Amino acid sequence: MKKGAKSMPNKLAIVLRGVSKEYRRDEIRIPVLFDLDLEVEEGEYLALMGPSGSGKTTLLNLIAGLDHPTAGEVCVRGQDITQLSDSELTRWRGNHIGFVFQLYNLIPVLTALENVELPLLLTSLSRQRRKENVRTALRIVGLEGREDHYPRQLSGGQEQRVAIARAFVTDPYLLVADEPTGDLDRSSAGEILELLVQLNREFQKTIVMVTHDPLAAQRASRILRLDKGQLVGDIAQSQLGAIL
Amino acid sequence: MKFLHYILRNARRNPLRSVLTVASVSVCLFLMMILISFLSINDEVNDSVRIFNRIVTMSSQGFGQPVPIVRVSEIAALDGVIATTPFSWYGGKYNEEVMPFAQFGVDPKTIFTIYDELHLPADQLKAFQEDMTGCVIGKKLAGDRGLKVGDRLPLKDGAYPVNLDLTIRGIYDGPANRDLRMCMFNWGYLDESLKRDFGGRGSGNAGIVVIKCRNAEIMASLSKQIDKEYANSDTPTRTQTEEQFGKMFAEMIGDVRSFIGNVGLAVVFSLVCVAGNAMAMSMRERTTEVAVLKAIGFGKPLLLFFVLAEAVLVAGLGGVVGALGSKLFFDAFDVARYSAGFLPFFYVPWSTAILGLALSLAIGFLSGVVPAFRAAQLPVVTGLRKVV
Repeated sequence: MKKGAKSMPNKLAIVLRGVSKEYRRDEIRIPVLFDLDLEVEEGEYLALMGPSGSGKTTLLNLIAGLDHPTAGEVCVRGQDITQLSDSELTRWRGNHIGFVFQLYNLIPVLTALENVELPLLLTSLSRQRRKENVRTALRIVGLEGREDHYPRQLSGGQEQRVAIARAFVTDPYLLVADEPTGDLDRSSAGEILELLVQLNREFQKTIVMVTHDPLAAQRASRILRLDKGQLVGDIAQSQLGAIL
Repeated sequence: MKFLHYILRNARRNPLRSVLTVASVSVCLFLMMILISFLSINDEVNDSVRIFNRIVTMSSQGFGQPVPIVRVSEIAALDGVIATTPFSWYGGKYNEEVMPFAQFGVDPKTIFTIYDELHLPADQLKAFQEDMTGCVIGKKLAGDRGLKVGDRLPLKDGAYPVNLDLTIRGIYDGPANRDLRMCMFNWGYLDESLKRDFGGRGSGNAGIVVIKCRNAEIMASLSKQIDKEYANSDTPTRTQTEEQFGKMFAEMIGDVRSFIGNVGLAVVFSLVCVAGNAMAMSMRERTTEVAVLKAIGFGKPLLLFFVLAEAVLVAGLGGVVGALGSKLFFDAFDVARYSAGFLPFFYVPWSTAILGLALSLAIGFLSGVVPAFRAAQLPVVTGLRKVV
């Protein structure tokens, strides 16, 4: 992991042009995103806010290559990922994206160490090197000594820390987090948000986070608001105070 | 190999379900091994006698019809014949047990020359040959019933209307796939008894004639020669190799063979359903996990491999317990002694045990195919929808 590495100023990490997304349920078309344009700079920490059903998670899924847009292009690090096949997209995600989910989504039968090691199994790293990287990641998230604990033996906050370690252990280009504090108490949520800030500032990770929580959004460097499938503008940090 | 621990953990994820799946596969395979072994033992024994250069002459009307005893000496005089013996089924009661073991009237002078894979100490063979009422029994029969040389062995109410008061003169041994629970007595004693007590009715018949040939090459021509010789007699014969003679018995239970085959197919099908259902349930519970794995870069081939490997592992474990377990169980535990003479010996051949193990792996693979493809095809967003 490249701690403190400086990114090129104003270099774009994510570019969305004319992105639309609609789902089909039988014959019914359900439009979710409309002709959306977005640019995110490298090293930026972007929070997406908006009411339920506004398309935040759909937008996050498109940026992370979990879904294909109905129209438009999604470029991440200069690559139009809409042109990739499913298998190419899977490989691309493994190499470039780290995921943090609301419910942590750890594998219950694996220990913390094994959960974090999971994405490294897809690399050609030796067993010893994998273990070293995992221990480093767990140390960064403050879970040294918890390597052999199973998810059921950890608190919610600790589980989310393991999930974050799993997300950045491969040193991905982009971290996407969907309501990372949505299932945590205020104290644990604060620790997780601090960790994400640390990853953004110390390790220059570009982060896109979906959240309902203004306190969580407050930690981001930019906050965008989505409503009815459209970006309705930036929310200034000063405006968050009113929301809070 | 680096994924092995993940597969093993998943297999143990729901211990009760895994144990029940393993148990259903193993119990069914254990029973199936018993059924298949009845057939495969027969085949294996028939194949194994090929090297002993024996042919069997019986009546062309079937082995239920006797062959005149004179044929024994006539055939013995033919070129290429080493020895011959009558082989007359008696099938009497021992005490009050009905046919507790096979009983045959044979020629004591030639029987151990013809069945040279059976071993009888020279002094016991001499005693057997010298005592008209003597008999020899197999080592297992002696062991089962605590019989020893010198003990009386009265037989009654057999296929012939005379009782035989036999004395054990020897205990023979031999390979595991030979009948070591047989009683062989002097054919002359049976014949003399028929003449003495039954006016000679039924006497002078050899049952079948077993012939030891000089080598395998002459067996076919010798068989033809014998049958040609008696084709126009009152008692035409049918001569075949001992292997063919054994297979003739197997053909008599041909319907049973196909019945067992169909039962086996039904068992395999039901096991695929049972294991498949367990695997499908397990995968349904892991929908989100599968989606997470796909999200972080695990491709379809790898997910297919995970699910199929887990299914094969669980069913294969059932195969190890059921198929290999039955092999070891019947090797260690001689069930034939409790079969009241129905089985001279019983074991599960290695070929059958390996077939059972292969079947269990196939069951695992088939049971995993549908859940594996479903997991591989699952759209990530759909799988994550539960939680995101």
